[in-house]
Amino acid sequence: MTRPIRSAARADLRLDAALWRAVSLFRCAALLYAVVAVLASFRNYRDRDFALLVLSAMAAWTVVMVLQTPPSKVLLTVDVLVTLAAQQSSLLILTRHQIDTGHPTITVCWAAAPVAAWAVRSGWVAGGVAGVVVAAGAVVERQGASQATINSAVLLVLLGTVVGYLVTLSRRAESAYAEAVRLQAETAERDRLAREVHDGVLQTLALVARRSPDPELVQLATGQEQALRRLVGAAAVLPTGESDLRGLLPARPGVEVAAPAEPVTLPAKVAQELAAAVAATVDNALLHGGTTAWLLVEDEPDQVTVSIRDDGPGIPAGRLEEAARGGRLGVASSIRGRVEDLGGTVTWVSTPGQGTEVEIRVRR
Amino acid sequence: MSAGEQPRGLRLVVADDHPIWRDAVERDLTAAGLEVVGTAGDGQKAVRVCTAVRPDVLVCDLQMPGLSGVGVTAAVVPLGVKVLVLSASGEQVDVLEAVKAGATGYLLKSASAQDLVDAVRRTAVGEAVFTPGLAGLVLGEYRRTATQEGAPTLTNRETEVLRLVAKGLTAKQVADRLVVSHRTVENHVQNTLTKLQLHNRSQLVRYALEQGLDG
Repeated sequence: MTRPIRSAARADLRLDAALWRAVSLFRCAALLYAVVAVLASFRNYRDRDFALLVLSAMAAWTVVMVLQTPPSKVLLTVDVLVTLAAQQSSLLILTRHQIDTGHPTITVCWAAAPVAAWAVRSGWVAGGVAGVVVAAGAVVERQGASQATINSAVLLVLLGTVVGYLVTLSRRAESAYAEAVRLQAETAERDRLAREVHDGVLQTLALVARRSPDPELVQLATGQEQALRRLVGAAAVLPTGESDLRGLLPARPGVEVAAPAEPVTLPAKVAQELAAAVAATVDNALLHGGTTAWLLVEDEPDQVTVSIRDDGPGIPAGRLEEAARGGRLGVASSIRGRVEDLGGTVTWVSTPGQGTEVEIRVRR
Repeated sequence: MSAGEQPRGLRLVVADDHPIWRDAVERDLTAAGLEVVGTAGDGQKAVRVCTAVRPDVLVCDLQMPGLSGVGVTAAVVPLGVKVLVLSASGEQVDVLEAVKAGATGYLLKSASAQDLVDAVRRTAVGEAVFTPGLAGLVLGEYRRTATQEGAPTLTNRETEVLRLVAKGLTAKQVADRLVVSHRTVENHVQNTLTKLQLHNRSQLVRYALEQGLDG
């Protein structure tokens, strides 16, 4: 089972690594394009030495950014500043005529790299903001907003938002997938454990319970067998957000459970509260002279009923009311409060010689 | 629930895929003077042995390779063999299916040797071995099918009896509480089982007929 989980975590890392590889690839390809564009216009430049210097700086910065993945926010901010500086250097390199007639600037699409990087790092808002900043730089660089400049500005902002949005989506899909794999692995592991435990430990415990002359040991082994079986048998919360009440009831020596064969499902929270109330009732029963508590779970269309009977001396008639008047309700009142919070009811019945019966009903 | 008069010379078959368990059960039964005339480690063999030796009672595990305890029960009950299911806890669905297929008793594997011998004797004379757990299962099954057309239903009295048995009251305590005879309580309990088994059988027959007519 550890295998699928680890591979799910790795898949998560792989997604991030793949995204940053894509950004790095974009940087290198854009740099190559910038080199080609510069060489094509080189002869007509106003300041060729400066052009070479800026190009070298761009190449060096590209190497830095490719090596520094995933980049920090500080580094990405510096990345935007470096890009803006490279953009503005075009003003000194190109002639006035070249700038006005839409000759490629020295950065060309290399300037879009920080936009993609911000989008990958922090999502669509950051990507969009980076797009606006770089687009503004381009407008300043061209010293005016021609149709072509507006087009590339819009493209930059779209690049930032759309890439950012897609990255967020794929990260979400990735974690949903990892969660699904984890759940599946958990279920598979539970099944495997259940099989192994059934064939080994449980059979042995049952045999110990059967053949031991020591009643205490018998009770212990029986209780452990039942507790263990429930542990490996019941998934705590079903995919529907409901829980099987049967798996939450106290399983220990002295508690006998009678329940339907099919799951008794209630919203997870209700099932937990109900099971806690039942556990408190059982504790109370075994504390006051009972040696065994019998639980009966009944699943009806409009309500779930859990009855708890013990073989103790019982509560003398009127004692509960008396206790309430004296303000000493203790356990009984806490159980009642708990169940009433769920919109349920509790009734106590005590039959002389047949212990105490508590019926807890919760409406569906 | 008393064991009634103790029949002598009961012939039994024990089916369980765990050898240690099978031996332990066999030893306990033999020690109590009962005769184990055959054992089986899987479902098919259990059916073959029962067909050959026709025991009074088959003491049957539920989870076995090949044919499950439910399948074995369905196969041997028509031969007149009574089935006592001996299961680990947590196999409620299978226990219920076995009971619907005709098993008349169900005991947890953790029950004591004395309880086992007692249960085998009661099963042999046709008494239902009704633990609180089984009562809970049967009650749950009636509740589940309550809205289905043609499904058997319980009378109010039967529901009352089943609930009390499921809450751990002995037949005598139930009789005392309802002010009826011990025998009446036994009858009510038996009826709840019989109705389930009859319904199950009629459904199987209907299913077979439909398959036959369509095929």
